[in-house]
Amino acid sequence: MNIEHGTFVEKYDLLGCIQCGRCTGGCPVTVRTDLNVRLFVYETVDDDRLEALSEKHEIWDCTTCNNCALRCPKGLDPFEVLLGLRSMQVEEGNIEPTAISALESVFNNGNPWGKPRALRCNWMEDIEGVEKVRILEKGEKADVLIHTCCTACYDPRIIPLARNLVRVMEKAGVDYGFIGEEETDCGSEVRRLGEEGLFEMLDEDNTELFDAYDSGRIVCLSPHCYNTFKNECENIKTPVLHYTELVAEIIREGKLELTGEIDSKVVYHDPCYLGKKNKVFDEPRYILGRIPGIELMEFNQSREISLCCEGGGGKMWVESESKEQRLSETRILDAKEMGADIVAVACPFCLLTLEDALKAKGFDEEMRVADILELLGESI
Amino acid sequence: MNVVVCVKQVPDTSDPDVEVHIDSSGKGVDESKFSFVINDADNYAVEEAIPLKEKHEGEVTVVNIGPEAANQVVRMALAKGGDQAIRLDDERFAFSDITATARLLASAIGDLEFDIVMTGCIASDDGYSAVGVTLAQMLDLPHAAMVKSVEVIGDNKLKVGRELEGGLLEMLEIETPCVLTIQTGINEPRYASFKGIRAASKKEIKVMDLEATGLSEDQVGEAGSTAVMVEYSVPVVGELAEILEGDAAETSVKLSGILKEKGLV
Repeated sequence: MNIEHGTFVEKYDLLGCIQCGRCTGGCPVTVRTDLNVRLFVYETVDDDRLEALSEKHEIWDCTTCNNCALRCPKGLDPFEVLLGLRSMQVEEGNIEPTAISALESVFNNGNPWGKPRALRCNWMEDIEGVEKVRILEKGEKADVLIHTCCTACYDPRIIPLARNLVRVMEKAGVDYGFIGEEETDCGSEVRRLGEEGLFEMLDEDNTELFDAYDSGRIVCLSPHCYNTFKNECENIKTPVLHYTELVAEIIREGKLELTGEIDSKVVYHDPCYLGKKNKVFDEPRYILGRIPGIELMEFNQSREISLCCEGGGGKMWVESESKEQRLSETRILDAKEMGADIVAVACPFCLLTLEDALKAKGFDEEMRVADILELLGESI
Repeated sequence: MNVVVCVKQVPDTSDPDVEVHIDSSGKGVDESKFSFVINDADNYAVEEAIPLKEKHEGEVTVVNIGPEAANQVVRMALAKGGDQAIRLDDERFAFSDITATARLLASAIGDLEFDIVMTGCIASDDGYSAVGVTLAQMLDLPHAAMVKSVEVIGDNKLKVGRELEGGLLEMLEIETPCVLTIQTGINEPRYASFKGIRAASKKEIKVMDLEATGLSEDQVGEAGSTAVMVEYSVPVVGELAEILEGDAAETSVKLSGILKEKGLV
C-alpha cells in the first residue's frame, strides 16, 4: 500500500492534538474493548506505522458516536483517523466477509442488505388510511421529499416506521413524496466502513437525484442519512431535516392532533447522530411530551452524554471481539431500573440494537423499545 | 504461472424475498426484477488465481460470456488482480447449453498461453456443474472438479484436493496445463474497492463476437447445443406436502408444533 508522505497528519490535522486524553476518557466502548483512540491519533503521525496500525482489530470497535470529537478541546475528530485506517484495509480488500457483502450490495443494489432494488417500494402497499403513497416524477414539486433509507425499506422491524411517517404526513396534510425504486443508499455506513470511493459515488448519485426534484426540504427517517446529506454531501443544496424536526413543526403549527393515549412511562434515548452529532435534542422530547398519557423520564446519561447503542459506524456489519456486556444492554438495564415502560428512540439502528438487548435480558414482557414514529402511529 | 479464470454473471437470488418466476416464453426465468452478481463459485476461483500469479509470476486472464452489463463482474475480477479480460458477446450465443458454452470458452482460451484454467464448480442460476469439465474435454486437458486446495509442487505439476461426499478430501497430482473447477470455501475472497474497480476500467476487456471466435453459427446457441430447453414448470404440490399459510410469526409457530409433534426436535 502506497501512503503519500504526511497523508494522515494533514488530512486529520494530527499536529493539533495535545494528547490531553479527553477523547479516550469519554469513549464509551473502552469499557468493553481495547480501543484507545488517543493512541491511534498519536501513532498515525508516523507514516511508516500506518500499515501496521490499519491491521489492528480495534479500529473496527469504534461506533463513530462522535463523543471524542465533542470532547476534543482542539476541535479535532479523533475517530476519523480510525476511518482512514479502515479505508486502507478496504483498498487492500482485507475486510470482514459481512462488510464485503454489505458494500457489494450497496454497489449492486443501492442498499447494504442484499435486497434487490426492485423490491425497494414494497413497504408502501396497504397502509391504513392511505390510498396510495405518492412517488414523485422527476421534476415534480413537493414541499417535502422523504428519503426512506435502506433499513426502513427492507427490514420488517423497521418498515412500520416508514409506514407511520406516511400516515402522519397524510393526516397533517403535508405535501410529501418519495423517490421510489431509484432511491439509493445514503452512504453513511459505507463511509464509516472505510469505503471512500463508493461513498464519493453515492454522494454524486444522491446529489444528482435530489436535484432532479423540485422539493422544498429533504426529510430523513434515520439520523445517519440525515447527517450524511446535511453535513457530508457538500453539494446538496436543499435543506435536510430529520423527521422529528418536521413532526415537531407540524404539531406546533396545529396541523397534527395527537389524541390516542399511551399511558406509559417513557424514557427517550438520544441517537448519537441526531443528538451528539447534530444537536437535535428538544424536538423528539417535544413530540413525546405531546402524546397524551406519556410520562417522560430522562436517563442519567442523556443529550450530549447519551450512551451509544453501538449500531452506527458500520457496526451493523462488523462485530466486536469483546464478550463484555453490550452498551445497548447497559442502556436497557438503566431503563429497567428507572421503571420505564417504553424506551423511545428516533433511529432504526438504535431500535434494532436496543430491542435485541431487551430480548437478550428477557424483559420483553414488561418493557418495549419503540421509535417515536410508532408511538405517533398509536396516537394519531 | 498464467491462469485463466472463467466468470459468469448470475442473478442474485440469495435473498428470501426474491421471487423467481417463469417468463412468458416458458423457457426462461423473468429476470427483470433481479440484481446481478458474480457467480459465487467463480468468485472463489478468482481469489484462488491471484496469489498463484503473484507467487509464481504470470498473468491472470478473466473470461466471460455475457452482454456489456457483465463488465460489472469482469471489472471486479480485474480490480482484484486480473490483468486482462475477454468477453464473448453476440446475440447468436443465446440459449447455448453446456456444450455450446464450453465450445465458446474453448475458442477464446485455446489460443492463450496458460498453465491453469479455473472455473467455478457450479453456476448458481442453472446449477449444471458441467461446463468446466466439458471445457477440459474440448481443450484435451486433464481436469479436477470440486477443488478445495491447490498447491504447486513442480514446474508442471500441482497437488490438488477434491471435495468428496462425507467431507473426504481426495488428494491428486495433476500435470499442467489443466482445468480446475473450484469449490466455494477454498479461500476467503477479497473485497474489490470502488477505487480499485474504477482503476481497473483502464485494463483491456477484449470483446469477441461469433466471427472473432472462428466458430460457425451452428456451433453456438441453440443450434450448437446437444440439450435444448423445452420448458420450465413449477413442481406440483404432492399429497404429503403441507404448505404453511400465514405470516412469519404464525408459520414459525405452526412449524415448531409440527417438528415437536414428529419428535424431530
